[in-house]
Amino acid sequence: MTDPASPFAPPAGLLPAGLMDLLPPEAEREAALVEALMAGFTRHGYERVKPPLLEFEDSLLAGSGAAVAEQTFRLMDPVSQRMMGLRADTTPQVARIAATRLGLQGRPLRLCYAGQVLRVRGSQLAPERQMPQAGIELIGTASPAADAEVATVAAEALGAVGVAPISLDITLPTMTPTLLDLSGLPAERRQGLAHALDRKDAAMVAALSAEAGVLAACLPALLAAAGPADAALAALAAAPLPQAAREIADNAAAIIAAIRRRAPGLRLTLDPAEFRGFRYHVGVAFTLYGPGRSGELARGGRYLSLNDEPATGMTLYPDAVLRAAPAAPPRPRLFLPEGTPEAVAAGFRAQGFATVAALSAADAPRALRCTHILRDGQAVPLPKE
Amino acid sequence: MDLPIPDSAALAPAPTGPLILALPKGRILAELGPVLARAGIVPAADYVDEDSRRLRFETNDPALDVVRVRPFDVATFVAHGAAQIGICGADVLMEFDYPEIYAPLDLGIGSCRISVAEPAATAGQDDPSRWSRIAVASKYPNIAQRHYAARGVQAEVVHLNGAMELAPSLGLARVIVDLVQTGSTLKANGLIETEVIAHVTSRLIVNRTALKTRPEVISAWIARFRAALAEA
Repeated sequence: MTDPASPFAPPAGLLPAGLMDLLPPEAEREAALVEALMAGFTRHGYERVKPPLLEFEDSLLAGSGAAVAEQTFRLMDPVSQRMMGLRADTTPQVARIAATRLGLQGRPLRLCYAGQVLRVRGSQLAPERQMPQAGIELIGTASPAADAEVATVAAEALGAVGVAPISLDITLPTMTPTLLDLSGLPAERRQGLAHALDRKDAAMVAALSAEAGVLAACLPALLAAAGPADAALAALAAAPLPQAAREIADNAAAIIAAIRRRAPGLRLTLDPAEFRGFRYHVGVAFTLYGPGRSGELARGGRYLSLNDEPATGMTLYPDAVLRAAPAAPPRPRLFLPEGTPEAVAAGFRAQGFATVAALSAADAPRALRCTHILRDGQAVPLPKE
Repeated sequence: MDLPIPDSAALAPAPTGPLILALPKGRILAELGPVLARAGIVPAADYVDEDSRRLRFETNDPALDVVRVRPFDVATFVAHGAAQIGICGADVLMEFDYPEIYAPLDLGIGSCRISVAEPAATAGQDDPSRWSRIAVASKYPNIAQRHYAARGVQAEVVHLNGAMELAPSLGLARVIVDLVQTGSTLKANGLIETEVIAHVTSRLIVNRTALKTRPEVISAWIARFRAALAEA
């Protein structure tokens, strides 16, 4: 007689919210995809680093890490008695490596990484609490060519795994704060205006900025400029921007021109008034969108690395890329009856088959998920059921 | 570098399919008619029939379909990208605060307010600055919690979907946080409005990914609604 399951034990197989097992064939697809993306980065001279999963929270949450502080799992290190964090983002770790162990290496520094990150809470839209990241960081240069490079290298890596069409959205997270600072509006009005800009509420932006002098002329124009990059740049050029804002716009134009030279076919959109979700960016920020509703596949942009070193980078989300990329045909599985010579098996493996050797007479090809069976020295496809 | 906001592409319709406009059933539906008409949208005839079992309606524009869902669900459909544009109250946006939604247009219809109300008998009887917690009945748990947290009070929210006005008299909660249009329901149940948290009107909302990847189409629709408002 078996005991009934304890009412307090979780049902077998139940995982904590937001965590999942990847099974065949998705686990293999994801791993292959990450390696393909990394190969794309390596081809452009980005060298791979592998930071640990855990580190002291003061280094993990420094700089751009502050933006994910509330999403970071923490635990006490029983050895050092100091608080550690499980990374919720890899960029702060790469920044630490660049500032310390690779501090003396020549600049600009090109680094790439791939690994899992964890976050405390999923959202209703994105319930995952563990997810893969693969990214590049270009540290030690402030030139527009660097921004263009990370954006196009990321887009090219996506293209190489079969994601098409890709569109790159460029935002200027410093534009709105700069204009609001110049406006001389009281803090309360400024907050209302920021809120309206965030919602893209054109009527409210026009009403709130009406008496704000310089802003009245350019904020509504900025909002209306969002869209395909060329039209947006033309609208920016026509807007009566103050000097500080003009510099931001000129920088964006230089970056877009550099991207066009590197990747003429990439679809570009520009949203000069957007600043949502780019908390630590100090220059242009990028989002790569896949086809249809596959959504955001990568994000990045310019930030300040440790020691105020200028840096720019892109993070790709392989789980999202996996949904957007066409599925490669699975590796055929060849069933080897008992007694198949090893040399024959090795020959088929060299042709790309996965060989599944029968270990007893009871092994059946179909139950072992084989697609082919070895008969008279030939790989014969099993009929589909 | 930032956390992703993935999208469930597995369930996605073809990107070239008709655009989906999510509309709220109930209170706003009647007020919405003239706005749709001025924007040149004519949904199938049974769209206004609340008894119709259909949930998705074609329109005079083959590139636009309308779905009719609960007001709270409009935001959910648009946030997930199941609908690319929608119309819902600012109350829903305040409650959910989805980063995936833009609200570019205030349609000025469905005007009401989110308020705190309590029984006339207890209102003003004690000093709220001494409270450390309060029982609130609401269908807006996040708004209620934020409102009280801002003044250092922990709100214990009893989440109800309707008939909030009963809660104080039956001992479920001390106050309610609810949508108030005329105040007559409150009055009929012996409650008085003690605080207005926010004024609410209906907004045109759009999905962020849709606006970024199909800027021409989505912007054209926003412009049509803006023109429809200007006409009114």
